[in-house]
Amino acid sequence: MKVTADRDRCIGAGMCVLTAPAIFDQDQDEAMVILRDETPPEDARRVVEDAVNRCPSGAIQVH
Amino acid sequence: MTTLPMMPLPQERTHPFDPPPAYADLRDGERITRVATPTGLDAWLVSDYRTIREVLGDGRRFSTRAGMAAHVISGFDPNAPIGGFSQMDGPEHVRIRRNFAPQVTHARRLGEMEPMVARITDEAIDRMLASPEPFPLHREFSTAITTGVIAELIGVPPEKYHLLQDAAYTLFGTNTTPAQLQAALAPLFGYLMEQVARRRAAPGDDVLSRMIRHSADSDRPLTDEELVRMNAALLVAGFDTTASMITYGLVLLLGHRAYWETLCKDPALSAATGEELVRYLSAGVGLLRQAVEDTELHGQKIAAGDFVVVAIQAGNRDPELLPDADTFDPARRPGPHLGFGHGAHACVGQHIARMELAAVLGRLATRVPSLRLAVPLAEVDWKSDSVVRGPAELPVAWS
Repeated sequence: MKVTADRDRCIGAGMCVLTAPAIFDQDQDEAMVILRDETPPEDARRVVEDAVNRCPSGAIQVH
Repeated sequence: MTTLPMMPLPQERTHPFDPPPAYADLRDGERITRVATPTGLDAWLVSDYRTIREVLGDGRRFSTRAGMAAHVISGFDPNAPIGGFSQMDGPEHVRIRRNFAPQVTHARRLGEMEPMVARITDEAIDRMLASPEPFPLHREFSTAITTGVIAELIGVPPEKYHLLQDAAYTLFGTNTTPAQLQAALAPLFGYLMEQVARRRAAPGDDVLSRMIRHSADSDRPLTDEELVRMNAALLVAGFDTTASMITYGLVLLLGHRAYWETLCKDPALSAATGEELVRYLSAGVGLLRQAVEDTELHGQKIAAGDFVVVAIQAGNRDPELLPDADTFDPARRPGPHLGFGHGAHACVGQHIARMELAAVLGRLATRVPSLRLAVPLAEVDWKSDSVVRGPAELPVAWS
């Protein structure tokens, strides 16, 4: 599984970090998405997909 | 010429927790229909989960330029110059949002706020328990807590709370005129302008000072007026909606006692219960967008300039979101619901709202399990002149 984050779309809503803190983080200044793990294990798929669905800006994707 | 159905569709007052049944018929049928709105705009009404996400999630096709509520608030002119953050699209909106959102959306910062929210909640419970019964829960408890939290975040002292409360009640009142709105906002703007100057000179640890500091390092620092407007928006949007959700939610829980008893047995369910309340009740009446180009929604042609209203509450009851969406189930995680909106304009204060709901439910269930409605559920007085739904007041008792 590969996760991508588009920081141009991100609005720093924080949903990804609160949903899947092992995979996503926020930078200190703008609270924008940072990927902690770009290739999480397959058993994290459900929580990553949940984060993708909860992201209001459509900034994160899972492939 | 046929007469368009009026939006909002008629509510059956015997079911104060449910969207009007006509929304479900629309959602399961043609999905998108033409309606007349109370302020005279004709609009497309969208009430299914998937299409609502499509509209709110695509700011390039559906602009927020006309404001979010010009379909229900007579004081909002959809052609007025862009004044507020909620009317901005695209990069201009993102610039402003990135400057102030981190103060209320950063997971670490939110963790630092929790003790403050817990303290304000416990103080409100102390005051309630020291008061005579029946006790007006909405004004003296729910509103007191949410006002206290947002005011403390921004550094507004209690003697100035009336500024933001007057502004919010005027803003959300459906019969407000533009002149009344101006008159209610002016004192709040004036006060905040003084505070911007004061905190530029002597910054503190409050959200306004942090915004000033953060913005000063950016390519285009926020102007005084932008700071005033953003903080006014946070203050005004930040308490009445959440207070209404708290009171509305407590009517549901206390009015159906089994839900309340479940929470009292396990107050750790408070966060999940709060989230499900936001989904199930969805206190807002719907959001406005305007098509910027000729486009289509679910096969229906939408012309550039057409207004679109999304019915959040109906979308949150769509089986597409949850198979048994009409069931209130406080034990579940209600999925990516629309209760805080969606897209670039999704509620920026949603984490604070969640924190407040969870604190209130958890602390009340722990400290006042005997809490009960002091009037029969059928006699609860519901708001009729506001775009934020819920009880106008809620008398409660505990002894």
